Amino acid sequence: MTWLQFHAESERRAIEAKAALASRDESRAADLYRQAAELEQKALGALGSDKARTRGITAVSAVALWYKANEYTAAERLAYSLLADEGMPDFARDQLRNLVQAIWTEHSKREAGVAFLPGQVSVSVKGGEVVTGGAPLDLIVDKVQSIQSIFYRTIEYLTGVAHRKHGPPSKDLQDACRPWLFQSVPGSYQFSVAIQEPMQADFFKAEVSPSRVAQHFLEIVGASAGENIEELKSVVPDEEYRRTFLKLARNLAPTGKKFEQIEFRSAEDSRSISLNPESRTYINHNLRQSQEATQEQVVTEELKGTLRAVHLDKDWLEVVSEGATIHVESLQETVDDVIGPMVNRQVTVRFIRTPSRKLKFVDIELDE
Amino acid sequence: MAKMAKPKIVIYGLDRRHPGLTVHVGGSYTEAASVCLDRHHASPVRIEVTCGTKQTGRTIDFAKPEARTLKAWNNDIDTTEAGAYGVAIAAVEAEEELVAIGRAETQTGADWYVAPRGEQHEDLESCFRLEVSGLDAGSKSDIEARLRQKIEQTHRGKSNLPAIASVVGFKERLVLINKVEAKK
Repeated sequence: MTWLQFHAESERRAIEAKAALASRDESRAADLYRQAAELEQKALGALGSDKARTRGITAVSAVALWYKANEYTAAERLAYSLLADEGMPDFARDQLRNLVQAIWTEHSKREAGVAFLPGQVSVSVKGGEVVTGGAPLDLIVDKVQSIQSIFYRTIEYLTGVAHRKHGPPSKDLQDACRPWLFQSVPGSYQFSVAIQEPMQADFFKAEVSPSRVAQHFLEIVGASAGENIEELKSVVPDEEYRRTFLKLARNLAPTGKKFEQIEFRSAEDSRSISLNPESRTYINHNLRQSQEATQEQVVTEELKGTLRAVHLDKDWLEVVSEGATIHVESLQETVDDVIGPMVNRQVTVRFIRTPSRKLKFVDIELDE
Repeated sequence: MAKMAKPKIVIYGLDRRHPGLTVHVGGSYTEAASVCLDRHHASPVRIEVTCGTKQTGRTIDFAKPEARTLKAWNNDIDTTEAGAYGVAIAAVEAEEELVAIGRAETQTGADWYVAPRGEQHEDLESCFRLEVSGLDAGSKSDIEARLRQKIEQTHRGKSNLPAIASVVGFKERLVLINKVEAKK
């Protein structure tokens, strides 16, 4: 048989495998992917060394199929032998290295001795002070915290928990769906986040598919950073949740000073969502639209400084600006996980001056 | 004077014109494209196609999806993705005379490959990788931003392969197509 015949048959099985996955028949999908991988490896063997581009594409395809069949040892063995091949084109070499890293991550997850929900989100932070494989620690810690907050909020939203005003998520939720951070492929600064599978089988309501938690996370982040607020309204109809998601997404979006882009991608999906300084403009526009819908038209002022104190129960915050401490009240629906990571950081606070000369809070965002 | 027929993007019978598409896969792309278009428009719908610097107004005929079809395609994300593939493959055929000849798996999905119509394709040596993205309700600037992102990703990830990036905006009735040359 020729490359074309083997490859065509492999394609057919891979398409059937994807359909099996869509209908949640995971064992049939794995079996079909395994058959597709065997055929693709034979297709690779049928190619001459003069067909560099076809060899590269087929090599990546064969390793990816073993990986999708959950046959990590076969995938790793083939990937190493292909990486050792001097004739392998650069584009294929890059993708094979990424596949090897993905295989290691899967090994690590198995060795962790806990089960994870299907799907994980790969995050890459790029530009500005970020270099390949390295980034300022405070920047990454801050983004990881915000990502964890959005994951918890997504799970709370999906499981029908009332919008949380103060404090962390319940201990039950934190224990059941603990986010894990894994090293990811090199290039910019990258990591991936997987959610531990709850021990309690009915933790998620029947109509919520746990396998789609990562997908929901990406939908919410993508819709929050989009130009069209209607898209977010269709993903998150609850207004309180929607405003919190917008604020958390804004915490993630770059101003362009320290870094220029943060990109999210599902492990099962080639589509990605990028937040850049332009996204921050959209998020602010959407937030203001949402605030204007609930507030009278009033003149707001801005204050830049370091957030030194927050008391959510007593409803105030204090910002130190040019040596003076400025007290702002009425934090309204401001929530811990949005404002908490901003303490001791440079912020911009929007406020209204009341007739009694008190400063009434409107909004706060990181200014770095 | 005889009226000139308006140029079209034909989303039906994809498998008959594209050797890489089976009846099932081609049919599923057509169905998904109809569902996406029906969310915002009635058939025939006029679409603006920008291929490089060339702009063409084209029409797409589509059948109104039945309730059963809508139910089968009730996942918005999957439907928009499959619908975008259907429209992009047909648009690239109409604009560039390229046809889908096959696909290959990647870590996160699969890539389609297109090549000049009428040639024999025993391998993927003369093909372009087709990078497709779809937006259901995004604005023109969202669609343009997505194309820029696709071009950047294409350069970054698979630098030695010539590719075609295409973004389909269903509500905006806009298809953007751009060739991404191989980096040396």
